[in-house]
This record gives sequence, structure tokens and C-alpha cells, in this order.
Amino acid sequence: MKLYKNNESIQDKDIMFAVASNTISITILFLPRYITEHTVSSDGWIAILFGGLIALLLGWILAKIAVSFPNEPFLSFASYLVSKPVAVILCFIFVFQYIIISSFQMREMATLSQEYFFDRTPLEVVCLAFILVVIYAVSGSKMAIFKLNILFFPFVVGGLTLLIIAPMWAIKLENLLPVFQTDFKGLQSGTISSLNAFLGFGIVLFYISLIKKPEKAAKMTVLGILFPFTFYIIIFIICVGVFGNATVKNLYYPVFELSKIISIPGIFFERFDSILFIIWTIIVFTTCLMAFDIAVMLINQLIPKLAKQSIIFILSPIIFFLAMLPKNFIQINNIAKYMAYLEIVYIVFVIFLLGTMLLIRGRRTHDSL
Amino acid sequence: MVQSSNEKYNNPLYLDGQLDENITVIKKILGNSSDLIIRKSRIGRLNHPFALIYIKGLINEDLLNKNILRVLELNRKHIHSNLFDHVYEEIIAIAEINRSKEMKQVIKTLLAGDTVFLLEGVSEAALIGTSGMEYRALEEPQSESVIRGSRVGFIENFKINLSLIRQEIKDPNLRVDMMEVGTHSNQKIAICYIDGVVREDLLQEVLRRVKTIDIDFAPDSGFIEQWIEDNLLSPFPQILDTERPDRVAFNILKGKIAIIVEGSPFALLMPITFGDSLKSIEDYNQRWLISSLLRLLRLFSFYMTIFLPALYVALISYHPELIPAQLLFTITAAREGIPFPSLIEALILVFFYEVLQEAGTRLPYKISQTIGIVGGIVIGQLAVMAGIVTPIMVIVISLTAICAFTIPNYSFAIGLRIVRLATIFAAAILGLYGIILVFIMIYVHLANLKSIGVPYTQSFSPGNLWTLENIVVRAPITVLSKRSFQPFLKSNKKKKDGGSVK
Repeated sequence: MKLYKNNESIQDKDIMFAVASNTISITILFLPRYITEHTVSSDGWIAILFGGLIALLLGWILAKIAVSFPNEPFLSFASYLVSKPVAVILCFIFVFQYIIISSFQMREMATLSQEYFFDRTPLEVVCLAFILVVIYAVSGSKMAIFKLNILFFPFVVGGLTLLIIAPMWAIKLENLLPVFQTDFKGLQSGTISSLNAFLGFGIVLFYISLIKKPEKAAKMTVLGILFPFTFYIIIFIICVGVFGNATVKNLYYPVFELSKIISIPGIFFERFDSILFIIWTIIVFTTCLMAFDIAVMLINQLIPKLAKQSIIFILSPIIFFLAMLPKNFIQINNIAKYMAYLEIVYIVFVIFLLGTMLLIRGRRTHDSL
Repeated sequence: MVQSSNEKYNNPLYLDGQLDENITVIKKILGNSSDLIIRKSRIGRLNHPFALIYIKGLINEDLLNKNILRVLELNRKHIHSNLFDHVYEEIIAIAEINRSKEMKQVIKTLLAGDTVFLLEGVSEAALIGTSGMEYRALEEPQSESVIRGSRVGFIENFKINLSLIRQEIKDPNLRVDMMEVGTHSNQKIAICYIDGVVREDLLQEVLRRVKTIDIDFAPDSGFIEQWIEDNLLSPFPQILDTERPDRVAFNILKGKIAIIVEGSPFALLMPITFGDSLKSIEDYNQRWLISSLLRLLRLFSFYMTIFLPALYVALISYHPELIPAQLLFTITAAREGIPFPSLIEALILVFFYEVLQEAGTRLPYKISQTIGIVGGIVIGQLAVMAGIVTPIMVIVISLTAICAFTIPNYSFAIGLRIVRLATIFAAAILGLYGIILVFIMIYVHLANLKSIGVPYTQSFSPGNLWTLENIVVRAPITVLSKRSFQPFLKSNKKKKDGGSVK
């Protein structure tokens, strides 16, 4: 349907939904644990606040860089800014990163499902079924991916709102006090840990090129980050308020444990967490889908001759295999931590590199195209 | 057909001056069919031979006898000008009349039920609109009944159907483009839209697709639908079929395109979005609060009809711990002695229900009532008593079936059966997780689906979120009309692109 390109074009508001649903990923399930490891009592919200503010700044700069080259794919404008070979290397690292993200998300979801629901179903089956659905979605159009974010958004918002409201009654004030006890070093490490949960905004670097008129894209990126930002702070406070700092530190999925203490009288399901598991699957799905899609998109830019379907065909076994690689919780946890640090360092590096080069070389003028 | 017989028998392309020669050719082309009537006579006073040719049964013979044959035979005037022109313009007392020299056109007119008038010594024919076949009276639509709203449905007569739409929309901008499909049936199809409201690119795409249709005969508009739809594999129809003229009028005023096919009481509406299939025209006739509630109910039923049996299977076979304890005891007690796993139990009942529904649809009305009694009460109850299925499963499947009936569009509802079956299997293999995955897959499919190039989920894009007020709920008419298009105002430029597709 080439006839209806205008119909299909992605609007800048779509980016807001994409950033929000890509940022909210499985990471949020253990985010409070990461942060309480470095902070005292409920002070972690300050770390999230700093992390979020840094993320807003980074996201805004990143979007601004992408907006400077409207309708131009990443490889193309990166080559202009930092020469072709460097751009290709950057691209490859991004491909690697998004493959890891996508398989890590899938594995965490499978672990969660095995831990709480399907202890008899093997991990392989859970992951295989999941990746088949992801492949089905990646094979569709780009517009459909953005549409899915919007279609699922009400479910995500609804589920998360329930998750926030329902355990309110269980908050104990003594768990939250005293405040402002964490030293600077703790806050620093906490901020870095929380920044990891915001890294979903990285997608704007690749997706803004799909928007026809990306003027407002930077603003929309900021709005998109603001949604998980607010949500993270609230959920952190509730989590610490309900369980207390020491317990959160030792729970593998503190946020999921939160949903287990909820009981609503008169509801058909005995266990509320099973309803939330639907939401978690959807959250993981959108994140995994977009990571997969960006990996496919970048490979397509690197090797234009390779058809999209064959890239998907090559990548999906790799993602599946990588997801099966870690043997236990400890390994996944360690990988997640290292990955998080690498991702943060890399995205800051890329923003710094591209941003500086953009300031030096300026936007592409028409004759240099 | 005419073309091929021309080649085959080497028939002339144009009419001859000789009356007898023309008659022989027409007879030869139509194979001297016995319902072909050729009435030869002479114009009164002038004694000039002429012939009236028609096909028996297709025309209004009364009209022919009174307004043509009689006036010609009883002519008392001397005619000095061109005789054919005089007959064409003054004698024949019928409003719809054409002239042609082409043999192909003559044959086509003849087959469409009009009368051909031939005059000796003139190589031209007058084609007189006498078609007047018997048709069914206007009745209440069978597939889309409403409590409050118009009681008129389309019938098999093409002209009546078109006039029904004209009657609803007295707008000079209503356009009706005629086309023909069917290499053998030569059926007319009308593409109706409102000029200035419809999006030009969509109209061109519809016209392009209709032109590609290559079939012998379209018994119903369903043939046209299946030829021009976007996705053959989807369980969701991408073109809406309706029996209601008011629904067609309402929708083409919103910028949709309607196709009416000769001989079919179902009009097609395109492009549609997901919400259109869940709307009933009655939603607009009732007050907005209750209509909104009914919309929500339908949306809920849509999910129920897809997921309810699967949910039950998943809960019973994989997650009994999710069921409240008291209910679980009841279910376990009921399941005692049932020889089948819940999947087989569900499949038996689903199969049983589908068979009943199919039998009820195909049989005459009186027998189908018996089917209902035998199927529903006798077998349903006895199957429970015999210990083949549990009563709870019967409730679940019946509830599913009833939920499916709340969906106003039959084509949409029957497509959901496939989805329901897929969900049951997914639930049997992976439990709740399988249902979630199918749920995601349905959404992925819907996000990729298009109707005439317009995304099926168009209303869920951020620019069009306001259209949701007319999908999830039905906002008050006064609010809706502020945004909806006003036909005679030229200010439609203000409207957003794509906003016309509601």
C-alpha cells in the first residue's frame, strides 16, 4: 500500500507512547531492590528523582540530535557527523545492545512466569512461544508497532494504577522514616542504578527518522520519560513503605511481591498478581518488540541488501539462544548489572560524541546532501 | 459473452438497415431462445414494418402494450419528417428511452429487461426502458433488527435499493458511479459517496480495486467484498455489510464509500475501523447514556466471546489455585466422573453449539425451532446428566454464544469463532500464558490490518483520539455533531486528514 504513505506516517505524539512503553520494562520489577542496596530507608526516591532528571536531559539532547536530521536514518546522519567507519561501529554496538536487551527482557519474563505461575512449564517453551509472537509483530509494519504501543497503553496504565492504589492501605509510615539519611556516595550509586531503568528513551535516536514532521519530537520524548519517571517514584515509595528497606533489598522482584499482597474482596480471581502478570507480559512484549525492531532496522541500514524477513530469521535464534544462556538468578542478575553500566556509559558517550560533532559541524545543509 | 459470440459466429458489430436481417442476427446471438419474444407489426396508416423485441418475464408487458404497441398501431398521422426520429421523440410514451447503432448495446439492453424497437430501413434501434420485474416488498432487515429506528431494509432490486439511499440523502453531492461486473451476469454495481466528503485517494483506490474484479457471476455483494478486501487471511471482515439504508446513508455522510450490487440486499461500506463493526445504528437513535452503556457492554462481550471458554479451560487445567476456594470445590465436585479433560469437554460443547447454530440457520424457520428444543434442552441437559460435560462448562459455552449475539454485525461475529477456537487451544497448551500471547497476537494482527489502505485501528492513533468518544462510548449527539461533517458547508477543509473516517 504505497499509495497511503501519508496515512501511515508516524506522528510525533506516537514517540511519546513509544518512549513511555519502552522505558517501562521488566527492569521496574527489581528497580527498588537496586536502589535500596545503596540508600537508607525511603531515600531512594531522591536517587530516582536525580536519575529521572538526568534521563530527561539526556533524552531531550538525544531527540534534538535526531530532530536535526529529519527523515534521515541513524547510520546516514551518524556517518555525516562522525565519519562512516565510526558510525558503522556505533551502529554495530547498538545492534548488539538491543539484541541483548530483547533477550534479557524475554528471559526475565520467563523467569518471572516460572517463579510464580508455571513451575512445570520449561523456560524454553515459555520463551519460544513468546519470541514467536514477537517475530509475528516485528514482521508487520513499523506503523503497527507504534499502534500497538497505543493499543496496549490503556492496559499498562490501568494495571499500574491498580498496582499503585491497591497496596496503599499496607504502607507503614515507620518504614518510610527517617528521611534524608543517605550520604552522597549512596545517592550517587543509586542514581546510576535508577538511570538504568530510564534507558528506554534511546529508541528516539532511531525512531524519529520515521516521523514526517518531527518538530515536537523532543518535547514528546520528555513527556514520554515523565510518565515512567512519576510512576517509578510512586512505586518505589509504596514498595519501601509496605515492605521496609531491608526486605526490599532481599526480594528478587519487590514490585511483583507488592501485587501478591493485594486482595480485593469479591473479585473472581483469587490471586491479583495473575491479572498483573498479563500487564507484565504486555510490558515486556512492547519493550522486547521495539528492541528487536531497532536491531533489525539497524542491520537493514548496515546491509541494505539483506531483506527484512531474512534479518528476522537470523536474529531470532540468536536472541532465543542468548536468553537461554544464563543458568540461574545470580547470573542473570550479574549480567543485568554489567549491561546496565555498559548501556549508561555507551549512551552518554554517544550523546556526547554526536552532540559535540553536531555543534562543530552544524546541521546538514541542502547542498551537502 | 457477446464479444465471444461475435468472434465465434462473426456477427456484425452494427445494426443493419434491413429489419429481417437484424432480427435474424439477434436471434442467432441469443440462440433462438424460447423466451425471446419478437413482435412484428406495422405502424398504423403508414404501413411501415417495425419490430419490438424483448425477453419474456423481464419486462412490464402492460406498459409495452399500452404505451408502445398500441400507440404505434393506432397511429393516424401522416409523418413527413424522419420516421424513426418521430417515433423516438413523439410516439413512444415512455420516459426512459435511448438509441444505439451498436449490436452489442442492443443485446445488453435486451438482457437487462428493456425492449428494443427496430424499424425497417433504419440501422438504429430505440432502447425503451420497460424493465419491470417482480420484486420482494420492502421488509424489515433480517440480520440487523432494531427496536427504535427505520424498519426498511434493502431488497434484491437494484433500482429500489438506490432510491432508498436517495430518499435518505437529498443532497446534490451524492454521487452514484455505475460499473459492471460479472463476465456472464453483467451485473451493475453502484459506488455511492458524497462528493466533497469522501477522500479522493480512497475513492480512487476503491474504483481501481473494483475494476480488477474478474468473476462470472456475483450472487451476492459478498463476492465483491472478498475480491476487494485487503487481507484474505484475517478473521475480521475489513468491509462492513449492512441491510439498512439508514446505516448506509449515515456512513457515507461520514466519508465512507458504499457499494451496492445488483441482486444483493447487502450493501458494502468501506473503509471501516474496528469500532464500526461493534456499532449499531440504534446507538444513535437512543439517548446517549444508555447507548454508551450498550457500547461498553458490547466491547465487553467481544472480549468474553473470544476469551471466556479459553479462560475456563486454562483455569481448570493449569491454575486451579486462581479460582476462589468455594467455587473450586463446586467445580471439582461437578467434574467428578467426567471422563474428559477440560479441553475435550470444551471442544465437544463448542462443536455441538456450532452444529446447532448451523443447522438452525439452514433449516426452515419452523423446523429450526425444533432443533432449538432438541439441541438446547434435550441434548444439553442429558449430556450433563449422562456425565459427559459439566454444567459449568455448559454455562460457559452458552454465555460465550450469547455474548457473540450482542455483536451487531453477523460477519464480524462469525469470524470470532475462529479466534475463539484458537484461544481455547492456546489455553490448553500454555494456560493463562497462552491466552495472554493470543491476546497480544490479536492486537498485533489488528494493528497491521487495513481496510482499503486505512489502518483498522485508525481511531487509536494519537491524532484521532477524539473519535474514541464514538467507539468506546457514544457521546451525546450535540457533542458528536460539532466534530462531524456538515454536508452543505464548504468548511470541510478544516477537518483533519483521515478524520472523516469515523
